[in-house]
Amino acid sequence: MKPLAPPLTFQENADGYLSFLNRALKANFAYKGSTLIGLLTAALTYGITLLVWSHVYGQRGSTLSIAPQEMFAYLALAFCLNYALTINIDQRVGQRIRLGLIATDLLKPLDFQTSQAMQALSDCLFNGLIGAFVYLIAFLVLGDSVLPKSPAAFALFLLSLFLAFVIQYSLVFIFIQGAFYTYSGYGIMTSRLALHQTFSGLQAPLTLYPLVLRHIGDWLPFQHIIFTPITIYMGKAEGLEAWRLLGAQSLWALGLYTAGHFIMRKALFQLEIQGG
Amino acid sequence: METALRIENLSKSYQRKIRKPGIWGSVQNLFSAESEEIHAVQNLSFTIQRGERVGLIGENGAGKSTTLKMLTGILVPTKGTIEVLGRIPWKERRQLALNIGVVFGQRPQLLWDIPVRETFELLKTMYRIPPAVYDVVYKEAVKRLNLDPLLGTPVRHLSLGQRMRCDLAAALLHAPAVAFLDEPTIGLDLSVKEQVREFITDIQAKFGVTILITTHDLKDITETCDRLLLLDKGKLLFDGSIKAFEQKYASDRRIVAELHKAVDEAAILQLKKDAAALGGTVIEAEGHRIIVEHHEEGAAPGLIQLLLKQFQVVDINLEKADIETIVTRIYRQPESE
Repeated sequence: MKPLAPPLTFQENADGYLSFLNRALKANFAYKGSTLIGLLTAALTYGITLLVWSHVYGQRGSTLSIAPQEMFAYLALAFCLNYALTINIDQRVGQRIRLGLIATDLLKPLDFQTSQAMQALSDCLFNGLIGAFVYLIAFLVLGDSVLPKSPAAFALFLLSLFLAFVIQYSLVFIFIQGAFYTYSGYGIMTSRLALHQTFSGLQAPLTLYPLVLRHIGDWLPFQHIIFTPITIYMGKAEGLEAWRLLGAQSLWALGLYTAGHFIMRKALFQLEIQGG
Repeated sequence: METALRIENLSKSYQRKIRKPGIWGSVQNLFSAESEEIHAVQNLSFTIQRGERVGLIGENGAGKSTTLKMLTGILVPTKGTIEVLGRIPWKERRQLALNIGVVFGQRPQLLWDIPVRETFELLKTMYRIPPAVYDVVYKEAVKRLNLDPLLGTPVRHLSLGQRMRCDLAAALLHAPAVAFLDEPTIGLDLSVKEQVREFITDIQAKFGVTILITTHDLKDITETCDRLLLLDKGKLLFDGSIKAFEQKYASDRRIVAELHKAVDEAAILQLKKDAAALGGTVIEAEGHRIIVEHHEEGAAPGLIQLLLKQFQVVDINLEKADIETIVTRIYRQPESE
């Protein structure tokens, strides 16, 4: 009789997660047609946004507090970042909860939250390519204005980008836990997306928002996914202010990741597997 | 002997919403909170030793899959004790996962978008399978389940039968101490079912895997298991060897006689009387056929002589109910014992 397997060491665990990431990336690349459509849609959506804002600047440019060049650079960066931080695990996990396939995921000797983080990282690396494609177009059109303010700003931006990933992933993870109760991820996914699109700074810099919305946004984590990293990248927050923003991002990242862990534990306690 | 699984007074209940029919009903459902309590498993107790091969059978909704899901740790019991390899599954699911293998017949664990080989390699790293074990199981799976032509194919391109074979191989790749196989032959054709059973038996014999199979195909049980558990409406009706099961439920034997001439009523009345005196019951007497049932071991010769004496018999057969017939009969009973 074969002896029982001892617990996995940290290294063995890490190998398992990296292997999972590797496979997730391969799965992301499995659909060439879908990838191509994603690239074209991204370019088109960005083009339309540029047109809309060009029109706005043509009509009432003098009344806006942000110069057009800066505005277009911001929008380009927001678009790229949004693509790079697009995580599809809510669609995937929601579908698996609905069909009861979640059972096989929970039977793996990996922590569900960490393995889903690997899946999310794979999504971001893959979608980051689409983001890079949009960035390239933006650079060709807008030139230097989409470059980072300074090497130091870029270094801090990379740290901020990592924290933005953790916040974005944790939010997706927390929201999708709702599907354990509603058995379908659709409504939950769209509610998160609505909050993300309103409060992340994707549509416009948050400084242009009405005061009420800005105050609400201040109490939510969404601004730290797009607005904060770009603010640091463009050098709008430097020195102490940049570190204050990074501190706020870190607190949100830690808090949300931990909350995700406990919410998941509670959800699994009352889990029902759909489909018998 | 070491205990592999221990279940004591295990119960699982859950609330199910009562849904009203029709479109108006669907609208009402949005505001209705009516629900009923479903008792999927009730006070179930059994123990399985390491290396045992056990079949769990029962009608649809008898609680088989729920029991398996509690044993694997993905469902939390409502009450009772549950232990697998000395661990409480729902509390120590990840650690237990290293030592168990699971097939949910209708839920493949293979990664949908990548070739089968890649899933196997991922599992090899994930479960840290020693080369000595991996090589043996992998070779055996490829040979027995004829996987060679499938290894390079993305799972989404496989047929149900092909996927099931790959899924079974994936579940046993780490030669787990305990394998939970929930309907491992569902939807497979006869020859593939045979391959699957041979593979299970082989790996079990090589590594001493404890096996718990749920199935509706009783051949899976008779060919791969020594012990049978029969569940009915969440309760355990029988626990014992397959032989003991047959002895308990298949005590009735039948004598089927084909006659030269059709039987007449007077002769049947006489036969019923004489057969009863010898411990037999005439359960069918129509046209050219008579069937006499008896429960006692030594009653057959006397009953056969009786038939030969009273009728012109052209053919005679002795039949004993097979396991499938017995189980069907138990399922059909309006209220189980």
